[in-house]
Amino acid sequence: MATETAEHAAAGGRFPPFDQIATTGVSQVFWLIVTFAILYIAVAYVFLPKIRKAIDDRDGAIKSDVAKAAALSAKADASVKLFEAEIAAARANARDTASKAKAEADAKTAAATAAKEAELNARLAAAEARISETRAKAMTNVAAVAEDAAAAIAERLTGVKPSAAAVKAAVSGAMGG
Amino acid sequence: MRIATDPMHQFQITKLFDLNLGGYDVSFTTSALWMVIGVLLVIGVLALATAKSATIPNRIQSLGEIWYGFIAGIVKDVNHAPGKPFIPLVFSLFSFIFIANIIGMFPYFFTTTSHIAVTGFMAIFTIGLVVVVGLIKKGLGFFKIFVPSGVPVVLLFIVTPIEIISFLSRPISLGMRLFANMLGGHVALKVFAGFVPSLAVALGGVGMLMGGLLVMPLIVGVTALEFLVAFLQAYVFAMLTCVYLNDALGEAH
Repeated sequence: MATETAEHAAAGGRFPPFDQIATTGVSQVFWLIVTFAILYIAVAYVFLPKIRKAIDDRDGAIKSDVAKAAALSAKADASVKLFEAEIAAARANARDTASKAKAEADAKTAAATAAKEAELNARLAAAEARISETRAKAMTNVAAVAEDAAAAIAERLTGVKPSAAAVKAAVSGAMGG
Repeated sequence: MRIATDPMHQFQITKLFDLNLGGYDVSFTTSALWMVIGVLLVIGVLALATAKSATIPNRIQSLGEIWYGFIAGIVKDVNHAPGKPFIPLVFSLFSFIFIANIIGMFPYFFTTTSHIAVTGFMAIFTIGLVVVVGLIKKGLGFFKIFVPSGVPVVLLFIVTPIEIISFLSRPISLGMRLFANMLGGHVALKVFAGFVPSLAVALGGVGMLMGGLLVMPLIVGVTALEFLVAFLQAYVFAMLTCVYLNDALGEAH
């Protein structure tokens, strides 16, 4: 035990952080200053500016990308509006054309119908006139046939041929009532 | 055997080669070696992280940006806009302490932050910087931090000495906190780890079984806790640096 303590004492003591201050304190502080100064210079003048620049670059890239995206989005919105306006115009145009065409067609149909009707009416009137004429003619023919028949019947029955005026009077009396 | 069981041996500084500068012994020691290694590690990781600055970062670049964002966030939250020039300093302090603490978690590696000379100097430097920056920014108005506004004049005779004492105790608490946390954690780890061989020697196979089943999980837990402490102490040091800097930068309170 005694030799161990002696060894410790020779190596610097039982509690190096305090025991060795006298022998190594200056050296520790010196190397602390040297190494820390190197670290500080490297950090302050080389590495942190680089890291900061990378972060700033990224922020800039994100900001410009967002701005670009916003511009594109606005452009797309404008295009959509334009497209909608064009669609609306085209639709109105189409409606116009359609209604115009319909009106034209209606007018044409009405005219055609009227013309046909007039023609038909004319033909109908002609046909009716022809019918009444034919009937009148037929009626006169019937009277003549009846006179002939009555004259022939009377001649056969009586043997005397009746006068034409008498027959005519008799027939017209019988037919006219 | 002494290395394996003595919990203080890990804090021993040994000289690697002699160096004398202006009459001062600034020999290159294990402590200096691990400071150099730590700084090289930090610079190496930062060099990888900034090798190519892509708009879409890869993993190591993301790490660098998260690291920077973490520190810049602390400075921004505590010091707001006037703290911006101090981001590199806080970043360096945090990184230096963090890497030293993490290096200390590896067996046989030396923990530079477990020596009061290192942490104490860092704390004195930080408070000295606060005073210098305060005097530059506010002139003698900087000393208003010792005279809280809105306090009756009679009370000022009590409050001002208290404020001065609290200000002077800052470098002590700042340096001592980091040093004690690292030292205490490593000693605890070593002592707990020492239980395993001690039990094995004392009780043979049964002791080895007990050490393996009971002590080993404890060591694993304490190790995990020490990793947390390693980060937390670096964070606390950086945070307190910002808080103290606020006395020099912010509005007088």
